[in-house]
Amino acid sequence: MTRRLLPWLALAAVVVVTLAIVVWPSGGKPSAAERARSIGSELRCPDCESQSIAQSSTETARAARADIRQRIAAGQSDADIRQAYIDKFGDSILLKPESSGLGILVWGLPAAALVLGGGGLVLALRRWRREPHLHATDADRELVQQARPVR
Amino acid sequence: MKHRARWIALSAGAVVVVLAIVLATQVGTDPRADANKSHLLGQTAPAYDLPTLDGGRVRSSDLAGKVVIVNFWNSWCIPCQQEHPALTEFFRRHAGDPGFAMVGIVRDDTDSAVRSYVTDEGVPYTVALDPGAQASLDFGTRGQPETYAISPDGVIAGTQFGPSSVTNLEQMYAAARGQR
Amino acid sequence: MKPALGVLALALGASGALLGVGTLGVGLARHDDRLLRAGRRYVFVVLAAAVLAAGIMEWALLTHDFSLKYVAENNAKATPLLYTITGLWAALEGSILLWGLVLGGYLAFTAHKFRARATDPLVAWALLVGLVVALFFFGLMLGPANPFKTLGTAPADGQGPNPLLQNHPLMAFHPPMLYLGYVGFTVPFAFAIASLVTGRFGEGWLSETRRATLVAWGFLTVGIVLGAWWSYEVLGWGGYWAWDPVENASLLPWLTATAFIHSVMVQERRAMLRVWNLSLIIATFCLTILGTFLTRSGILNSVHSFTQSAIGPTLLVFLGIVAATGIGLIAWRGDQLRTPGRIDSPVSRESAFLANNLLFAALAFVVLLGTVYPLIAEAIQNKQLSVGEPYFDRMTTPVGLALLFLMAAAPALPWRRANEEVLRDRLLAPAWAGALTMVVAVALGVRELAQVVAFGLAAFALAGIVRQYVVGARGRRRATGEAWPLALVRAVRSNPRLYGGLLVHVGVVIAAVAIATSSAYSTKREVRLAQGQSATVRGYTLTYTGSHEKRSGQKNTVTADVHIRRGSDDLGTYAPAISTFPNASQGIGTPSVRTGFREDVYLTLVSSPNQQGRVTIGVALNPMVLWLWVGGGVMAAGTLLALSPSLRRRSRPVEEPVPAAPPTPEPEKVPV
Repeated sequence: MTRRLLPWLALAAVVVVTLAIVVWPSGGKPSAAERARSIGSELRCPDCESQSIAQSSTETARAARADIRQRIAAGQSDADIRQAYIDKFGDSILLKPESSGLGILVWGLPAAALVLGGGGLVLALRRWRREPHLHATDADRELVQQARPVR
Repeated sequence: MKHRARWIALSAGAVVVVLAIVLATQVGTDPRADANKSHLLGQTAPAYDLPTLDGGRVRSSDLAGKVVIVNFWNSWCIPCQQEHPALTEFFRRHAGDPGFAMVGIVRDDTDSAVRSYVTDEGVPYTVALDPGAQASLDFGTRGQPETYAISPDGVIAGTQFGPSSVTNLEQMYAAARGQR
Repeated sequence: MKPALGVLALALGASGALLGVGTLGVGLARHDDRLLRAGRRYVFVVLAAAVLAAGIMEWALLTHDFSLKYVAENNAKATPLLYTITGLWAALEGSILLWGLVLGGYLAFTAHKFRARATDPLVAWALLVGLVVALFFFGLMLGPANPFKTLGTAPADGQGPNPLLQNHPLMAFHPPMLYLGYVGFTVPFAFAIASLVTGRFGEGWLSETRRATLVAWGFLTVGIVLGAWWSYEVLGWGGYWAWDPVENASLLPWLTATAFIHSVMVQERRAMLRVWNLSLIIATFCLTILGTFLTRSGILNSVHSFTQSAIGPTLLVFLGIVAATGIGLIAWRGDQLRTPGRIDSPVSRESAFLANNLLFAALAFVVLLGTVYPLIAEAIQNKQLSVGEPYFDRMTTPVGLALLFLMAAAPALPWRRANEEVLRDRLLAPAWAGALTMVVAVALGVRELAQVVAFGLAAFALAGIVRQYVVGARGRRRATGEAWPLALVRAVRSNPRLYGGLLVHVGVVIAAVAIATSSAYSTKREVRLAQGQSATVRGYTLTYTGSHEKRSGQKNTVTADVHIRRGSDDLGTYAPAISTFPNASQGIGTPSVRTGFREDVYLTLVSSPNQQGRVTIGVALNPMVLWLWVGGGVMAAGTLLALSPSLRRRSRPVEEPVPAAPPTPEPEKVPV
């Protein structure tokens, strides 16, 4: 059995190793530029409909990007910077819902739905496996023969 | 489970009912309401140091102790043009008062367009430019026109998003003066 | 005169629908075939009325009849001909008129197609439901969304269409394609309701409506891709998908319809999942109405928002009635329609399709939740939140990758049960192709998990599809000895459903790779240049050669000419622009895009020449965006292929009659 599984195991090994290389932490904290980009992509540009500060090309967005860079250089944490913007512009400045409070709904519900759905599927598969296979008996065949119209 | 489809359908129905109620209560509300009011009301006004149209500078520190009306505007926005007569009239009424100052900060516009507008239409109060949009960001502006009334000790006492009338401006002025 | 004629046409449509509903209803209650045949004809009355009303509106637009409020708001004397014609769907009331027109067309086509079964209660109920929907839309137009409202005094000139809607010829295609998609789902929905009401699962209607669903799905896919193209080429913010509520509204029915197209295959083969499929179709139709409600009620922030009007609550009530009817019918009849089918093994094509449905349902749930969450938050906490790209990307990427995996594995899985040998035969080589692609990607420096996995799965899927085409052609060669190209064509023509579906998957793979690449590797820069000055961005040299201003009719456009070179290759001059219209407060930017096989050079004019004559140009290098459009095109081609008739079904001409044998007096033996 292991013989037959060999090519699959080799395949799995290659995939796992490759993914491990990708996921391995590259060491060190994210750079200032990376932090600026990540914070900027989570905050809405104040005079846009739904674009982020990182994406938008309005003057205010550019000022905001410079402001975020200054704050990072001044040593503020990501959470501090986000809170500063919420204080100034209100909750609607965030593009990503908070993970606490009502936000649990929007992050948790899809995961819960997926788990429930997957669980339902697994249960259904198990139930189908346990059901007895139906086989036609001779009595069944006679019944069918009688029911068929005679040519 | 017996009648499985029925149970699943009815639970789905319950979810749909909740969603329908949520949607129904929100019809007619303004999705931009939050974005249309300032969150700086009652807080210390940000400091600014900006060039003016005639080559000078206007600084918030110079205007300390006065009631300052700050109006964010530009030359191409139609509500700004609509409120222009009200702003001019309001300024005319209080221009003689030494404890009063008014600054119009230009937001998201080119210098040449502003200059032509001022030449054509006339703006009697100080016009400040905002290169780099720093003041626009510091005041938490979302667009224009936006007007802020700052009390003599530097607290934002009144805000107005959208075009203002003389009545609005007088109310904001009174609120700023009343603030101690 | 035109408004009166227009309203008359609408009234004709509404009364035709009403009479049709009544006649069919009575005919069904009394089992009266004559009434059923008569009731069917009203569908054509509705179509005629819709054509008439749309024709009158176009007439009014073309003659610039500003006594009509709609024409005054969406057309001006100086509006070019193309945008005058497209003015029919430029705003709210006109778009409802377009909906009515497309609906009339689909209903008439359905009535014609099923004319031989006109007295079948299933068909009669389906037409009745279709007419009820038509009645609703005509009623909307006679009430809150009247396109033929008149103004007291006709202005000398109209306002002209929204500037964004007269920027690009795509305006002629994107809305009609979307509507051909949305409205098309009414037909399978009508049959689903009919099937639940009559408790019958009539033979043949399933495969007929499967084709209608595929047609609607095809149009919706094209409509969505065109919308993304518009977003990228016309709107100028640099991207093709913003998870804007209106974009999400078009995606939701697409997701459930895609799930349906797959799970219906399980129903055809194993006679299972009937009730689930009915629910999917009803959900798809409800989502099209929900989408219409979200975008037309002003309830959500969107770049697409139409103005608020009384149409919002009306749509919500209609949606409520439709959803209640659908859910009620399933609760009542659903258990009677269940079949005792079963799935034999978790590793089988049926299971893969079930997993596919689960994932698509999850995707639809995420998109729906994210879109309405701001409304929920406002209703409960009175807080105004926005949900944007970071949320949607984070939630949809893993599900999308899982679906990509299924797409690669499922077509190779046999029905009922797979054993290890079959799996090895069909999947091992493509899986190795995928794994090696991942290794190459990582070796080349890709470090984002989502990208690496996406590339690997795409290669896996593509290899599997190529294998299936080759195996099909080879099988045919063995049987007939034809040359490879001919064998391939004949093999494909003999089973267009399979090979068309595989071609659609190819399109999805291409689009997935394009999305994975362009989202991660874009470079954005802004450069300020004086005339004649150049800047270099990642190997491209951009020279600002000058700008000019042009006034045409209503538009005042400032264009900057930018010359692009790469190394020694001259790539041409591109001209991003900003246009201003007299009645709009802000300039509308038009990007200029140099489309390349590997990447696009995307130029925007951020600010027009200042006092020193300097312009600010936005430069973005977006890789692989072209392939997103190619992928969409391949998906459309695959849909067409899947819809084409199969060679196998064509009957062979009979050459000579074969003499009939006399009937035998004994009963037939039934082979066991």
